Amino acid sequence: MALGRQVAETLHLPKEVVLHLPLISMVGQEELTIENHKGLMEYSTEMIRIATGIGSLKICGSSLELKQMSADCIVVKGRVDSLEFLR
Amino acid sequence: MNMASYRQVLFWDAKANATGMVMKTSWSGLRALEYCAEKTGCHLEVVAYGGLPAKWRKYKGRQFLMAGLLFFIVGLYVLSSFVWVVDVEGNERLSKEELLSSCAEWGLRPGAWKAHVDTETITKQLLSSFADISWVSVSIQGTDATIQLAETIEKTEMIDKETPQDIVAEKDGVILQITAQRGTPLVQAGDVVKAGDVLISSEIQVGVEGEEIHSEYVAAQGSVMARTWQNMTEELPLQYTEKVLQGEVQKNRIWIWNDKKLDIIKPNMTGDFETKVISQKPLSLGDFRFPILLQTEQYQPYITQPKTRTVEQAKKELEQICNQKAKQTLQQNETIEQIEMKYEVYTDCVRAICKATLSEEIAKIQRKGQDAIYEPNGTNITTGE
Repeated sequence: MALGRQVAETLHLPKEVVLHLPLISMVGQEELTIENHKGLMEYSTEMIRIATGIGSLKICGSSLELKQMSADCIVVKGRVDSLEFLR
Repeated sequence: MNMASYRQVLFWDAKANATGMVMKTSWSGLRALEYCAEKTGCHLEVVAYGGLPAKWRKYKGRQFLMAGLLFFIVGLYVLSSFVWVVDVEGNERLSKEELLSSCAEWGLRPGAWKAHVDTETITKQLLSSFADISWVSVSIQGTDATIQLAETIEKTEMIDKETPQDIVAEKDGVILQITAQRGTPLVQAGDVVKAGDVLISSEIQVGVEGEEIHSEYVAAQGSVMARTWQNMTEELPLQYTEKVLQGEVQKNRIWIWNDKKLDIIKPNMTGDFETKVISQKPLSLGDFRFPILLQTEQYQPYITQPKTRTVEQAKKELEQICNQKAKQTLQQNETIEQIEMKYEVYTDCVRAICKATLSEEIAKIQRKGQDAIYEPNGTNITTGE
């Protein structure tokens, strides 16, 4: 992993590709996109847990909804209150 | 869900309910989900079908709906194959109507089939036909054709002051006022002149003190007002026929597309009738105007009745006719000074011999071997006694 990080930093390659890290982007509090995920672990309207390369990502909020899900990307809609990484 | 997503199944709007999950997926995704549900021991139930494929399956049996849809698509395609609007941008000196009528001659007009419009040829034709155009582009976007152009810089009017020319009398008359801007005036107010007499000569005398005076020739310019006379003979019969409007007025609507007229419901009119166009409106949908006009006509039946006018009435009418005819020949600043009327009364008509005294411009340019009408524009006024 250390070598991969060094290569990515030296060659300016995208780390999420080289190190298989999740790429998380948010639109305010209302939409969250997670790329490079490893699957859905838990799902409810208050909490969603998604498996990633660096552990599970816990999303807490209200009226949470899985807007879209594919092998590469998960889009969560609703009011996001917190994000937490659990190792 | 994870198993399905690893199998490249896309699903969206996933919601949890009391017993499981409700989600949307594609038609091919459903097959993969069925497999995943069977493998994981989940129960899969299709709640509803939606989207275009489902709607197609639902409505494909309805023949009239399908025919209507097909008609709509074909109609949309056909209607969008015409040029509906032709617009001109960038013209200042050139009139829009002139450009549009020229383009219509070359095939670009509202209602033209788009495939038959050759924009490159029209561009070349515009450039060759209008000297005032320096750049032009003809483009068709959707159903709108746009002619964008740039005009050349306006030429300044060149006044030829070098070529010798005289100002001569166009008609016989008595000079009232003479204004010479260039050249030597040969007549003065009160002089009697005949057509062709030189009024302002191109020859001028030049010379400073101590030198011999010599002649030089210039392009004479000026204006000459003169009293002239115009003779007219008019005749009016004492018996005549007059139209008397009577009967019910009927209206008719006609659709006009290019030069073609479509008159669906014609009113049943017999006998003589007057036709009058009341209105002509383009067919429009909001701001969009179709190249179709709706013309409303009015038909008024009439009968002809024989009428008689007295000699006095005929004389009055003849005076009016002569006055009007004399006025028609006049231009700006020209007036009728007097009209003398003489009448000859016959058994069936009255003849008027009219002599109108006019005050009018009689200046005309005469070049060597050429004649040209001159528009007067004088400022320096010289008058005789």
